[in-house]
Amino acid sequence: MPAIEVQRQMLPMFGSPNQGARFYNPELPQTEPFVPGHRTCAGCGPSIQYRMTSKAAGDNTILVGPTGCMYVANSSYLCTPYNVPWAHTQIGSAGSFTAGVAAAYEAMIRKGKWKGPFPNIICEAGDGSASDIGLASISGALYRNHDCLIICYDNEQYANTGIQASSRTPYGGMTTFSPPGKMVPEAKTLFPKDLARMMAAGHPHCYVATASVGYPIDLMNKVRKGLNHKGAAYMMIYTPCQKGFVYETPRSIDLGRLVVECGLYPMWEWDPAKREFDYSFRPGSMRPVSEYLKLQGRFGHLHAEHIATLQKFANAQWKMMGVELPDALLWAADAKNLSDMAAADEAVAVALTV
Amino acid sequence: MATETVKKKKVRINGCVASAQAAKYADVDVITAYPIRPYTATMIALAQMVANGELDADYIVADSEHSQLSIAHGASSSGARVFTGSSGVGVQFAYELYSPISGTRMPVQMMIADRTLDPPGDFGSEHTDALSTRDMGWLMGWSCDAQEAFDNHLLGFRIGEDPRVLLPQMVCQDGFFVSHITTDVELPDTGQVKEFLPPYKHPYPLDPRRPVSHGPQIMPEQGPPLQLERARAMEGAVPVIEQAHEEFAKIFGRKYDPWIEEYMTSDAEVVFFLQGAHGVTARYAIQHMRQRGAKVGLVRLKTIRPYPTDRVNEVLSKFAVVGVVETNLALGSVSSGGVLYAEVCGALYESAKRPLVLSFMAGMGGEAIVLKEFYWMTQKMLDAKKRGKIEKRTHWVGFEE
Ligand SMILES: Cc1ncc(C[n+]2csc(CCOP(=O)(O)OP(=O)(O)O)c2C)c(N)n1
Ligand code: SF4
Ligand SMILES: [Mg+2]
Repeated sequence: MPAIEVQRQMLPMFGSPNQGARFYNPELPQTEPFVPGHRTCAGCGPSIQYRMTSKAAGDNTILVGPTGCMYVANSSYLCTPYNVPWAHTQIGSAGSFTAGVAAAYEAMIRKGKWKGPFPNIICEAGDGSASDIGLASISGALYRNHDCLIICYDNEQYANTGIQASSRTPYGGMTTFSPPGKMVPEAKTLFPKDLARMMAAGHPHCYVATASVGYPIDLMNKVRKGLNHKGAAYMMIYTPCQKGFVYETPRSIDLGRLVVECGLYPMWEWDPAKREFDYSFRPGSMRPVSEYLKLQGRFGHLHAEHIATLQKFANAQWKMMGVELPDALLWAADAKNLSDMAAADEAVAVALTV
Repeated sequence: MATETVKKKKVRINGCVASAQAAKYADVDVITAYPIRPYTATMIALAQMVANGELDADYIVADSEHSQLSIAHGASSSGARVFTGSSGVGVQFAYELYSPISGTRMPVQMMIADRTLDPPGDFGSEHTDALSTRDMGWLMGWSCDAQEAFDNHLLGFRIGEDPRVLLPQMVCQDGFFVSHITTDVELPDTGQVKEFLPPYKHPYPLDPRRPVSHGPQIMPEQGPPLQLERARAMEGAVPVIEQAHEEFAKIFGRKYDPWIEEYMTSDAEVVFFLQGAHGVTARYAIQHMRQRGAKVGLVRLKTIRPYPTDRVNEVLSKFAVVGVVETNLALGSVSSGGVLYAEVCGALYESAKRPLVLSFMAGMGGEAIVLKEFYWMTQKMLDAKKRGKIEKRTHWVGFEE
């Protein structure tokens, strides 16, 4: 294959990256490739992420949308929220369809059939698509190193089908396929697939990062890094879903910060040139997981022992990031020091009636 | 790097290589491959052409047939000319994509070299793989030899990419009987191909300069007009198919009827009705049976989608008995045999002079249908003619006296 000589746009980074960025940032582009007027729920984390991502990418962009909420609730025939080209693809085709778009542009530019800078090609796959049914297709696209950015917008469940457990649903998370009951008081018994790390480990030539809607500038900078990287890039972004997590609508961004502050969503980047993880991201404070859990109905059934299990899980993640654990978090990993969630007894009572 | 310019020449190649050659002549931009016998040989040939610099294309080794077809879909949606293919269970692994590709009107071309589905593990050619996708909105037809396969690929691109059509094409050939049998094939001059096949230009590709949305969600009440439009696209392909075959004959000198090939039918009383490579054996069997006085002929269906209902009606109504040779399996179907029986009877229902119709389950598992079996089937048709009615609807050839 001859070397591809294509024009590429390099996107600059935004200043004042993460911590206190809850103010207007004058550097943000005016462009809105993803406009309001779609049918997602109020406070929908995935669509907040969609807006940030597409704003960071700008207008020379092509979006790919595998089936999921960001397809079903966004695109309505004869009325579309996408101001840039967008195509639906099948839920299992996230990586493959996107690879096709990238391959087409490579070939067409090389053969002189299309003139202009190489477009930003972004796939917005849900966690069900990215961690389960479309996993192989995404791995294929990363492995073959097509010039594209594949995003897993992670709402930790199959939301669009009415909240079912995916490989990203956390331990203890209640979904309609993982309800709590007498035999399984904690609801989901399995721990989530370590998806982003799996992608970094298996495709070390790719830029890989995790992000959260709680840190918009950090998120947008990572999107730009992913797009500037020549070859494939992958991001897994925490995007809360009020319908499935059951929380007060205005708290989406709060959850996006809390999940990081509680150690349940480690933020990192994989540097493909150095072949190493960058764990330098530090949230403003560290908190026990209960502060995150208690805001969400999906964890309302948890008993002290389950909360302790989740704290142990979070503590292990902090350690992996090289963070010294404060005594308070070690203390919170012992069930004796914790109390059940307010609705835990009710959950048991309900389970007994079924 | 430009694709090599070549002069017209005769070569000896098999069906798989003929398909690869056609993709090369069509100067495809993106090729997606995944190995499964027997069609693999096409992708092996293309890989070498790309490696040698004879063809400038992105050659993508996909992680499955599902991905193969999805990559093809994405590439075609972006404005590239795309070639892919498969066999047997591979055709079915990609099943989900057939409707989205035709529904978004992307003229992807897929080469099929038939292979029996599992179980059991079997390399033989049975048409069930491709036929199981026949109602997904793809143009579809079978070639009976390598030359016809080569020609049908060029015709496929020309028809499918026509802005009046914009439909994907399944260009099918029997595994082994066509795919792996070497015959003389005339490869054209690149100039002839340029004249016949204009560059692919989709009216609404994914292009940042002209944003469009492909495949958004609809409300149920928006469904009927969209489905009607898909049906109309198939019907609208009919005149384009005919026009393309006429121009093909003018430019390349090979004249084909796009729908039906008739062999020794002018005075025939009983005829075989089939698709693909077994037509070649049938022609010999017919010559032999004619020496023994049997007025037998052959009607070979060349395009099954869109189905030439009126032509089938008009042609088959001339005969007393039609013997459908299935080479496919439709379990529990109308004839409890294959799918072609229902297609034939459906076309004949409105005929004033309906022939008797028999379904022959032959060539199952990809077994060769030998001359002796064609003689036997001819006899069954002659018996039915004499009796004025059929003994039974479906005969499993080789299992009866
Ligand atoms: C092949 C296939 N299987 C199942 C479905 C049903 N389905 C539609 S949306 C959806 C949920 C997708 O979940 P995810 O990828 O996490 O996206 P989210 O809905 O959470 O945004 C599923 C399973 C489908 N569309 N296609
Ligand atoms: S169900 Fe969740 S992901 Fe879907 S639109 Fe609502 S908030 Fe967004
Ligand atoms: Mg999800």
